Amino acid sequence: MDKLSREEVLHVAHLARISLTDEEIEKYRRDLKVLMDDIDKIKEVKDFDSEMMYTPINDNTRLREDVVGEMLSAKDVGVNAPKKNGSFIEVPVMINE
Amino acid sequence: MSSYVPTIGIEVHVEIKSNSKLFSSSANTYGMATNTAVNVIDLGYPGTLPTVNKEIIRQGIRTAHILNCDITRKMHFDRKNYFYPDNPKNYQITQNRTPIGRNGYVEIEVDGVRKKIEIEELHIEEDTCKSAHRGNVSLLDFNRAGVPLIEIVTKPCIKNGKEAMAYLTKLKEILFYANISDCKMEEGSMRCEPNISISKDDNFGTKVEVKNVSSIHNVGLAIDYEINRQEEMLNNKETIKEETRRFDEKKGKTILMRVKETGNDYRYFIEPDIPYLELTDEFINDSLKSLPLLPDELREKYSKLGLSSLQIEKLINNRSLNDYFLGLLEFKTNYVMAVNLLLSDISSYLNKHNKVITDTNLSYEKLVSIIDNLESGDLSNKNVKDLIDSLMETDKSLDELKKEFKIENITDDSFIKDIITKVIENNSESVNDYKSGHDRALKYLMGQVMKEAKGSVNPKKASDMLREALNK
Amino acid sequence: MSKYLDLDIRKIHELLVEKKITPLDLVDEALERIEDAKELNAFITINDKVREEASTLGEVDPNNLFFGIPIAIKDNIVTKGLRTTCASHILDNFIPIYDATVVEKIKDKKMLIIGKTNMDEFAMGSTSETSYFGAPLNPLDKTKVTGGSSGGSAAAVAGKLVPLALGSDTGGSIRNPSNYTGIVGLKPTYGRVSRYGLVAYGSSLDQIGPMTRTVYENASLLNILVGEDEKDLTSVNKTKEDFTRLIGEDIKGLRIALPKYFISDIVTKEVKDRVMEVVSYLKEQGALIDIIDMSYLDTAVTIYQVITMAEASSNLARFDGVRYGYRTEDANSVDIMYAKTRSEGFGNEVKKRIMIGSYILSGENAKTYYDKALMIRDDITKEFNRVFKDYDLIIGPVATRVAPLLDTFNDDPHKAFMDDVLVIPVNMAGLPAMSIPIGTNSKGLPIGLHIIGKAFDEAMIYKLASNIEEVF
Repeated sequence: MDKLSREEVLHVAHLARISLTDEEIEKYRRDLKVLMDDIDKIKEVKDFDSEMMYTPINDNTRLREDVVGEMLSAKDVGVNAPKKNGSFIEVPVMINE
Repeated sequence: MSSYVPTIGIEVHVEIKSNSKLFSSSANTYGMATNTAVNVIDLGYPGTLPTVNKEIIRQGIRTAHILNCDITRKMHFDRKNYFYPDNPKNYQITQNRTPIGRNGYVEIEVDGVRKKIEIEELHIEEDTCKSAHRGNVSLLDFNRAGVPLIEIVTKPCIKNGKEAMAYLTKLKEILFYANISDCKMEEGSMRCEPNISISKDDNFGTKVEVKNVSSIHNVGLAIDYEINRQEEMLNNKETIKEETRRFDEKKGKTILMRVKETGNDYRYFIEPDIPYLELTDEFINDSLKSLPLLPDELREKYSKLGLSSLQIEKLINNRSLNDYFLGLLEFKTNYVMAVNLLLSDISSYLNKHNKVITDTNLSYEKLVSIIDNLESGDLSNKNVKDLIDSLMETDKSLDELKKEFKIENITDDSFIKDIITKVIENNSESVNDYKSGHDRALKYLMGQVMKEAKGSVNPKKASDMLREALNK
Repeated sequence: MSKYLDLDIRKIHELLVEKKITPLDLVDEALERIEDAKELNAFITINDKVREEASTLGEVDPNNLFFGIPIAIKDNIVTKGLRTTCASHILDNFIPIYDATVVEKIKDKKMLIIGKTNMDEFAMGSTSETSYFGAPLNPLDKTKVTGGSSGGSAAAVAGKLVPLALGSDTGGSIRNPSNYTGIVGLKPTYGRVSRYGLVAYGSSLDQIGPMTRTVYENASLLNILVGEDEKDLTSVNKTKEDFTRLIGEDIKGLRIALPKYFISDIVTKEVKDRVMEVVSYLKEQGALIDIIDMSYLDTAVTIYQVITMAEASSNLARFDGVRYGYRTEDANSVDIMYAKTRSEGFGNEVKKRIMIGSYILSGENAKTYYDKALMIRDDITKEFNRVFKDYDLIIGPVATRVAPLLDTFNDDPHKAFMDDVLVIPVNMAGLPAMSIPIGTNSKGLPIGLHIIGKAFDEAMIYKLASNIEEVF
């Protein structure tokens, strides 16, 4: 059976920000190929001529009035954060953008 | 002379004025304590959903209108997917396929030549959170997360730093006057990112983007530096890479930040949480109703009132004085005199006390009566200078103040006559000029009279008497 | 052990009003049953405050059918102060600080949330075996799957641990486990019930719905879940209606379509035979049933895969270890933090789907796959609308077969989707649909009928379902 290359697996893993062990890469070379074959079936569908239906909801232009609502305390902002630093949430240093 | 032609486009982000954020109801403010203007939506908590702030759509419509764009009637939002800690959902909600405005322009004038800077598109999107870097960690403050932005993208039609500065100055002025944004580059509410390429022919060269430029002036410097740098590289047969650079103010140079990955893969798709927005004529017209007069409209209007171009520019540069003056137009008075007063004694007072005019007690009625008194000669410019603090700080009328300060301009004929005689004696040359038909000499002589009288005589009366004496 | 929980909720309500029992009695009975049926693994988290909540519920309201009734909530619906994991390691310590809109409604009705039910991780699966906490077992045969992804809710209701539960349905996740465990499960019309607080999997498809023992209880529970929500732009404003109002009505003249595809060779004989028995019965009752052709049904799974995996790749990007949830130890760079956190936090099925989803949206693929899927989705919807011009309801089997053994297709990435081949088309069109038990096979495993209604015509589904419920 066809498999993806290691590089192909690593590329999509990077897009999804997932690190993989060698064992996992091997497994996904097959599993991801199965799913890619699945979605490739869409290429066979010929008769389509429609708008993109990105939601079943139409005619629903609904806008919020510009009024300030309830906000969290700085303490609540950090309550679930794995790492806090005073009122801040902390992460490893970001590469300077 | 260089044979390379530079091509420059600019992306500008401005933070939009509103009470609440774009997709959540937390406050859109600047300078609040860390993580206190935040709710679960801004933090990208699981299960939370965006709602769309009506005022931001209105602001988008206004911006599209004043930048002469076509307004998109049916639009959706898109997700721009990229992982970064300042991006709470790791996608940004923006408008990729249906920007609210397209095909606009801003007219600029450089060295007397007018040019339209074409706007490719403008779209609404959310801001990221703020990060600060401390050693090996970064600290996140989510107050800015979800703050509404408008991004304005020009076509690559700018040729040099001067044009770029003219465009940005004009853009800033328009957006500020239209109450879209406060456009403070130092606070980050206006961010400009030029991209520069040079080429010898019609094919565009490799684009270099410059970020983190702190002022319009520096955008100009950065662009001109980049053009030179790229020319030198090409002359030395070096290859220009697609990269992002920043501008170092102290060194006056652009410095490499990072080389672009091959094509940013933002994996855009339509935001399924926000159904189509359809803008009706009624909604659009209603949004435009609240637009104030914009600088070019003001220039035209003021010029018809007889203001000099110097006065006009000074007025437009001072938003609060300008708005005050616009209010004065409801009253009938001498507008030129009013502007003179606003830009001289009143401005000095405001600067000295660090106030804006709406902080003072200078009602329109009071200002009109000052002008009336100046015109009739019942008040001199010196009187105004003397009275200015009281005029601005108390709610007493001009008449009350005149009484209090015992201001009654000297109309004693003999006093004035003595001065006139003295001036005529001392300025025989000007007197002869006047008599041989040079009207300008009268102005000079009148100035001498007022100087002698130390401004304490009724100028109209003095002028009449001077003319009489000369014509004898 | 008391048996109050086996009574119809109208009877339970009567006992509460007559003060023969208290809400605490019901809660204690439920907790005891859950403890006794621990091996079913129906719950991930038990609400440890529920006894206290039951004791402080106040005076029974005779007009509130749901007062004091215990309910189980699928663990992808956020509950303030009560751990919400989505059956994932990445959220296994997550205590929300807000309630989903449906949870607010349930609390307003003074129902008692017993706990959070097991499910496929992030609702990705059709057997609930992808749960980080292990699969729930089918109460009717513990060697069989419950179905998924709302398997824990199905097990809790079918195992008589609670009378009512909430599930969510993106591509069959309410109907599939309802079918395998022999209970009544409804996926409402997309937009009927607010999604605010439902952790998104496929945003344009997800919908919360009731899972119950009886049709009447199902319709009654739906009554309190529905309504436009200002926090969810995809929730729809509809006039208030009573979904029980057509229950028990004559079905004479009801026009019902049975698409050929639903009884094609993909369906096992025992299931097909059972469905055809129901068809005969309904005809006897005067319903008009036609076997019809419908296009696009066989493409729905492919469309579903493209749309859900793409949306999921973006929806699950927020689980990054920054603001909440699991973060890997000792990551010294942002990139490592992301990759390790997500690698350790997500299970295999989730990883596969978000990797493929990222691929689907990457560069030009977005057009090839995602945009095209949305267009075909529109065609599927139009095809349903065409059929609904002539028919009131569409019926068919829910699954091709009865509940399979546990661990059957853990290693087949394709089968997980094919299990929902008959229920997925409904989500594409956003329509309401139900699984209603129509008996069992020779080994006692339940078989369900799939009833699909017009958009927002859930009442018609309940009408037919109540009629079937009386006999099967």
